[in-house]
Amino acid sequence: MLKVPEHQVAGHIAKDGKLGPLVDDQGRFFKPLQGDARGENEAKFYESFSTNKNVPDHIHKYFPVYHGTQLVEASNGSGKLPHLVLEDVVSCYSNPSVMDVKIGSRTWYPDVSEEYFKKCIKKDRATTTVTLGFRVSGFKVFDHQESRFWRAEKKVVLSYKVNGARLALRKFVSSNSPSDDDDSPPNCAFASEVYGGSDGILAQLLELKAWFETQTFYHFNSCSILMVYENESILMKGGGDDEKKKKPVRAQVKLVDFAHVLDGNGVIDHNFLGGLCSFIKFIKDILQS
Amino acid sequence: MHLKTPEHQVAGHIAKDGKPGPLVDDKGRFFKPLQGESRGDNEVKFYESFSSNTEVPDHIRRYFPVYHGTQAVEGSDGASMIVLENLLFKYSKPSVMDVKMGSRTWYPEASEEYIQKCLRKDAASTTVSSGFRISGFEVYDHKELSFWKPDRKLLNGIKVDGVRLALRKFVSSNTLSETSSKSDSAFASSVYGGSNGILAQLLELKTWFESQTFYHFNSCSILMVYENDSILEGNVDDARPQVKLVDFAHVLDSDGNGVIDHNFLGGLCSFINFIRDILQSQDESSAENLHSSP
Repeated sequence: MLKVPEHQVAGHIAKDGKLGPLVDDQGRFFKPLQGDARGENEAKFYESFSTNKNVPDHIHKYFPVYHGTQLVEASNGSGKLPHLVLEDVVSCYSNPSVMDVKIGSRTWYPDVSEEYFKKCIKKDRATTTVTLGFRVSGFKVFDHQESRFWRAEKKVVLSYKVNGARLALRKFVSSNSPSDDDDSPPNCAFASEVYGGSDGILAQLLELKAWFETQTFYHFNSCSILMVYENESILMKGGGDDEKKKKPVRAQVKLVDFAHVLDGNGVIDHNFLGGLCSFIKFIKDILQS
Repeated sequence: MHLKTPEHQVAGHIAKDGKPGPLVDDKGRFFKPLQGESRGDNEVKFYESFSSNTEVPDHIRRYFPVYHGTQAVEGSDGASMIVLENLLFKYSKPSVMDVKMGSRTWYPEASEEYIQKCLRKDAASTTVSSGFRISGFEVYDHKELSFWKPDRKLLNGIKVDGVRLALRKFVSSNTLSETSSKSDSAFASSVYGGSNGILAQLLELKTWFESQTFYHFNSCSILMVYENDSILEGNVDDARPQVKLVDFAHVLDSDGNGVIDHNFLGGLCSFINFIRDILQSQDESSAENLHSSP
């Protein structure tokens, strides 16, 4: 039985009869193949990547596992449509805090249509893409006190400037009630657990960075980095109800959204790499403060 | 003070048709005319800031021309000129290449007209695809005892393969014909490689760029210089390959924001990869030669 994923923070949402991704109860994510070659392109990427022996194992783990394509009953009622079958990267968490960050100082790339280029560059210039080399697309944080999720408003997120992006990255790892007003500064209570440590977000980003400094297979145009962690397990670590206690799941970095990936042609993905380095600097600064 | 036109400019403005160009003296100084109103001031502002910035480590300072203030120079209508170190002063027959870094040469604070102009040029060159473009270069051919310089128009139209070829030609001893057989990249390891070579210097710069948030080096170039002649005379140590950053008319002070220069850094990493590839193919071909020798 397929249902709408609970933890989407960006991208198309299968709601109110719209076409969007679905999940099952076995850890699989079904993404409808988007029209106009983008869906095909994403499938092509997954086919290539999943069988690419030149990609080291420790890098494969930053990408959703690919399970081929399947005809599935679409969320908008238009019958059976081809869907990409992927690993649902949040299924091992019960109440994941999730953030989607689009990496790169430009989301357009050579040889796109004039129309697409204009659309992309307008958005890139209006957001932090041009200035920071990345932009926050969306995020939600699990508020353990209220036992509910707080989701950042999309309009607010897209209007972030440099300080807004910084604030969002702090809120993401804070335990004091997040809100869109600046009354109480985020306490960054989980910063060292989530961002830091030998296997935290920063360590994972640095592994990715090293690969991006030499890999020339793919250019990850318009791709996002998804950051996921379990807020609750961190707080449970020191004791708590045995029933509620779950095996703590570590914070994870995943690359997602490969509709615009192209062949690297012997050149590194300098656009993604520059943005990634800028993002790493922001995370480092939060850890140090 | 005896001033003359520099001999080895490979890119940027030159003195032509009454318009001022740079000048050099015989004491190792380079005089750069202020580029019109604000741009000229902007470059001076950068040099003033940079030369007194105590947080820039010494080993990074060496990658920038020494700044000697501004001076009114006779014969230029009393206009001020920026006085810098002449980077080529200590070389007798330098091979020089100017590489403009970054996958974009525009920046948000520029005028819309300037941004559109840059976007066009970036898309038509390897800037967008590779994160850098070659603005110009010349190589000294010791056999012919003269410099070889590619046609500027030719250079403007090159794609990624052309860039690879140019970077190989730059360190070759058989450059003189444009249609010559494969460039021999004879000097690749003495110029690009080694503990003091171009690659090692670029890697030092890269580390600094991963954390420095003082300046955004929009539209800046990396200049690569080396002495071709000495290598062939057997003085491998005398190649003195040097990396220098130049052209700061569009640099912006950015310390308030705490953002790294991701545009320059991305392009720099891409450039580093191109250099590495040339060095690796050198290693591979010399290894082959070893195996195939009778």
